[in-house]
Amino acid sequence: MGKIMLEVKDLNTKYITREKEDVYAVNNVSLKVEEGKSLGVAGESGCGKSTLALSLMGYYFPPLHYMSGDVIIDGKNISGMSPDLVRKTVLGEEIAYIPQAAMNALNPTKKIIRFIEDVIRAHEPKATKKDIRDLATERFQKLGLPPDVLDRYSVELSGGMKQRTVIAVSTILSPKVLIADEPSSALDVTSQKMVIKMLRDMMETGFIKSMVFITHELPLLYNVTDDIMVMYAGQIVEQGSAKEMVFDPVHPYSKGLMGSIIVPEEGIRGKKLDAIPGTPPNLKHPPAGCRFAPRCKYATEECRAGYIPTRVFAESRMMRCRLTEDQLREVYANE
Amino acid sequence: MGMIKKVFHSPKFRLGFIIFAALLLFVFLYPLFDSGDPLEMIAVQSYLKPGTYVSQYDVAGSDGITLDVVASDKKLASHLPEADRNKMKTYLVDFVGLDANQVDTNNIPKLIEQWMDNYNPNNKAGLLVSAQRDYRNINKEVLAALDAGDIIIAINDPETGELIQNKTIHDQQYVQVSSVANRQVFPLGGDNFGRNVLRELVEATKTSLMIGLIAGIVATAIGLTLGLIAGYVGGTTDNIITFITNLFTVIPSFVILILISYSVGQEARGVLLVACIIGFTAWPWTCRSVRSQVISLRNRDHVNLMKLSGHGLLHILTTGILPYIASYVVMALILQIAQGILSEAQLSMLGLGAATSKTATLGLMMNWATLFSAVVNGSWWAYFPVVIVIALMSFSMNLMNTGLDQVFNPQLRD
Amino acid sequence: MKGYKKYFRKRIVWYLITLVIAVILNFMLPRLMPGDPVAAITANSAAGLTDRTAAQQIYDEYAEAFGLDKPVYQQFFIWVGKLFTGDLGVSFINYPRTVSDMIGSAVWWTIGLQLPAILTGWIIGNLLGALAAYKGKFIDKGLMPASMFISGFPAFGLATILIFIFVVKLKVAPAGGGYSFDLLPSFSWRFISSVFVHYQLPFWSIVLTLIGGQAIGMRSMSIYELNADYVKYSRFLGVEDRKIVGYVFHNAMLPQVTGLALSMGTMIGGALVAEIVFSYPGLGYTLVRAITGQDYPVISGCTLIITVMVLIANLALEIIYGFIDPRVKAAQVE
Repeated sequence: MGKIMLEVKDLNTKYITREKEDVYAVNNVSLKVEEGKSLGVAGESGCGKSTLALSLMGYYFPPLHYMSGDVIIDGKNISGMSPDLVRKTVLGEEIAYIPQAAMNALNPTKKIIRFIEDVIRAHEPKATKKDIRDLATERFQKLGLPPDVLDRYSVELSGGMKQRTVIAVSTILSPKVLIADEPSSALDVTSQKMVIKMLRDMMETGFIKSMVFITHELPLLYNVTDDIMVMYAGQIVEQGSAKEMVFDPVHPYSKGLMGSIIVPEEGIRGKKLDAIPGTPPNLKHPPAGCRFAPRCKYATEECRAGYIPTRVFAESRMMRCRLTEDQLREVYANE
Repeated sequence: MGMIKKVFHSPKFRLGFIIFAALLLFVFLYPLFDSGDPLEMIAVQSYLKPGTYVSQYDVAGSDGITLDVVASDKKLASHLPEADRNKMKTYLVDFVGLDANQVDTNNIPKLIEQWMDNYNPNNKAGLLVSAQRDYRNINKEVLAALDAGDIIIAINDPETGELIQNKTIHDQQYVQVSSVANRQVFPLGGDNFGRNVLRELVEATKTSLMIGLIAGIVATAIGLTLGLIAGYVGGTTDNIITFITNLFTVIPSFVILILISYSVGQEARGVLLVACIIGFTAWPWTCRSVRSQVISLRNRDHVNLMKLSGHGLLHILTTGILPYIASYVVMALILQIAQGILSEAQLSMLGLGAATSKTATLGLMMNWATLFSAVVNGSWWAYFPVVIVIALMSFSMNLMNTGLDQVFNPQLRD
Repeated sequence: MKGYKKYFRKRIVWYLITLVIAVILNFMLPRLMPGDPVAAITANSAAGLTDRTAAQQIYDEYAEAFGLDKPVYQQFFIWVGKLFTGDLGVSFINYPRTVSDMIGSAVWWTIGLQLPAILTGWIIGNLLGALAAYKGKFIDKGLMPASMFISGFPAFGLATILIFIFVVKLKVAPAGGGYSFDLLPSFSWRFISSVFVHYQLPFWSIVLTLIGGQAIGMRSMSIYELNADYVKYSRFLGVEDRKIVGYVFHNAMLPQVTGLALSMGTMIGGALVAEIVFSYPGLGYTLVRAITGQDYPVISGCTLIITVMVLIANLALEIIYGFIDPRVKAAQVE
């Protein structure tokens, strides 16, 4: 087992809204990512996966607030640190972020190199312009980006180039953990492939040591990540290796989610698309008991009462269901 | 209905609406209580101070009631304004040689006493002729104030030409104000023409609102029509309209307004024409913003569907597009009304407003106040209320506009 | 640099076309009115003159200047030809003083007053607006309604209020004029200090009316920018707060520059009217005296010069904008 780069223990965060009703968007989430590994986070929109991404950064600004739990990066617990210390020593350096909307992630009126200067100087105030330019040029070249991009404004770049630039800028300080929030969903197929390749290359060259990849596009996860975690209503529903999760999901929700996709490589073409009926719950008033129960066709009265903890099964897998793996498999077999 | 409720939920809109409604209510209710002609030139003097004026003739004729109070102190104070008292002090200190600390301009009885003891009309040493005259006049005032003798009312016998004493009035005699038959109230004083400022202000507010409304409607109608056509039709039509719009955004509408207003001539400039001219020069920015809204709408599914089902241009514009920008158009209209009121005021300040003698507008009142130097001679009542009314109208409409904006474009909410 | 050149060339050509159209309008509008324009124009102005031959002379001179016997397009070219030599005609009231002479001195008073006032108002307003957006709460709750209320005042309204406070009540400022009436323009210390003293009230009345509107605009632009994706992204990379504030301020200011250009005409118009209240010897005062005296050539000259001033101000702003917003250049490349 490799060195653990990112460990999260029982993390809880919430949104404080105008109406004074809090939204519990991340609920008792725990996870581990080892060095050189990547974790995929999947779920419908609104399941809390983007909020999880923001919460992992350890840097909260309204309306998102930290409640409890720990985020440990390479043995360093950042949850108790002051925001200013987090900004100076963690963000960008230990953990970096690729936002969902890369189109607008770069300041439109600043040259890329000027922005990189601001990023690097936020952590190393004494870095000279020349050092920064040398570092950026070298990094851009290694990542297959033309270095003249450095002297352009983001408005002068195409969509795919913008996204790759954002990735290069985010990882310029070789962070230990990279959080990528739907980094490719707005791109065309070619650009998407380039972005994925770039992320993989960075893992291989060690520019980043581990990655959390968030997306609603499951085929992508199978291609990119080692492990997959499925989220529902702010909680972890099931977790396992990418292969296990795609071809043998056990939890009814994961099963529904995986059932709604086609993975061409393995020849399961033609399998019927099971869309999950209903919509995710309102997180202002999450249902008691299993949060998925209102949409689960196997749910009983017992599912709707009491907290359902996660359970480990098949050695390395984990899920949150009242039924055990065997019970579930039996239910499915009888269908 | 739900929409209106939502709009009134916005505190900004509510405040704006209350101010605006209060102004309107006052303007329409006030004439019910005071039905005098707003443009009647009542006073012969300019800039009457605010207050109630009672007929001196009637007062003299009324039966008096005796009140046992000392009247001379207040009389002295009102006869001798501070400037005169300061002059008295100067005389006493500089020419008589009293110690400056001994002379107190606020202790009037003492000051008068010192004056009576020391003033000598024959002492001309070192005094300019004008200063001598000043002091003589002050002395007269002092003597008049001190003279507590009765006033004798006499009537002229038509046959003999003899004066017959009718009645005497002493200085402790009072008359109840409401028992005086002839009274005139000038709550905001009089203007340079001797008009009652409050009546005039109410009338002017009404006229200016009307000008704003007409100008706003004209500007919005032109801007909306051109904006709809430019945005929806596109192509060459759009290019032409956009070119004209850009042109008139850069060429100041203020200048066009001056040129047209001057050219139509003083005689022809009625309220309606002024309003139309203002509206005619104010449309470009409405056109600009309507156009950009329409462009964002014109490829929506429902519009395409209407196009495919063969509906005409007019039908698509009125049922497919207009309802979606209606809230926006209302906001634009409100701003245009506010701007129209300001434009009228500025135009009138330049002397290009509606013909002076026939009507009062807020701008004309400002124009008279500056022209007849109310501003520099301290007759605040002739222009302060006008400025406040203009500011309140503009403030209330801006508030309503911001409120509407926040309701209809929630992403702007902070 | 290529993108810039193209942009500037385009804009300059566009403004030249606008200028031509403005000149045509200035020429045509008074002539579109029914009746004999010269008779209408000179009748009123000549009414003040007791001398009948002088009135006739004015009529004849003007009929010739208008070139009424020639077709309209020829009249226009004669007029434009005279414009190029700086000949705007002769004033009716101050006959035989030339219009260019009268306007020539007024223009500098107006520019000297309005340019600094508009810039100051714009800068203060933007700083306050950004502060309100960024610091929120106190400034936001108190300052914004006040700004909104003050921006409801027309410049001339504030002018009367300032006169009332500082001239009538406190007696610390002169009532009007560009300098003390007992002085003649010179480079003496007394004259300059007199100009400075007379400058204060007109200047601040213009500045104050501008601040409110600018602050409100800047505040909402800043709030919009503060919620932009690049702000969030920069924060997550650990960029210092003050740097991010810098980004936000810069980007929120850009639309404010465009806004300034769009409202330049209205601002200058409002400020000209404020000049009247102070009897400031600029274009506003010249214009109002010309209107009162039905002095057509001076009115025409004033409107033309105001138009030219607004056009130049706009062009200058667009050129500045081209430099500070890289998107302009990017748009030219596409």
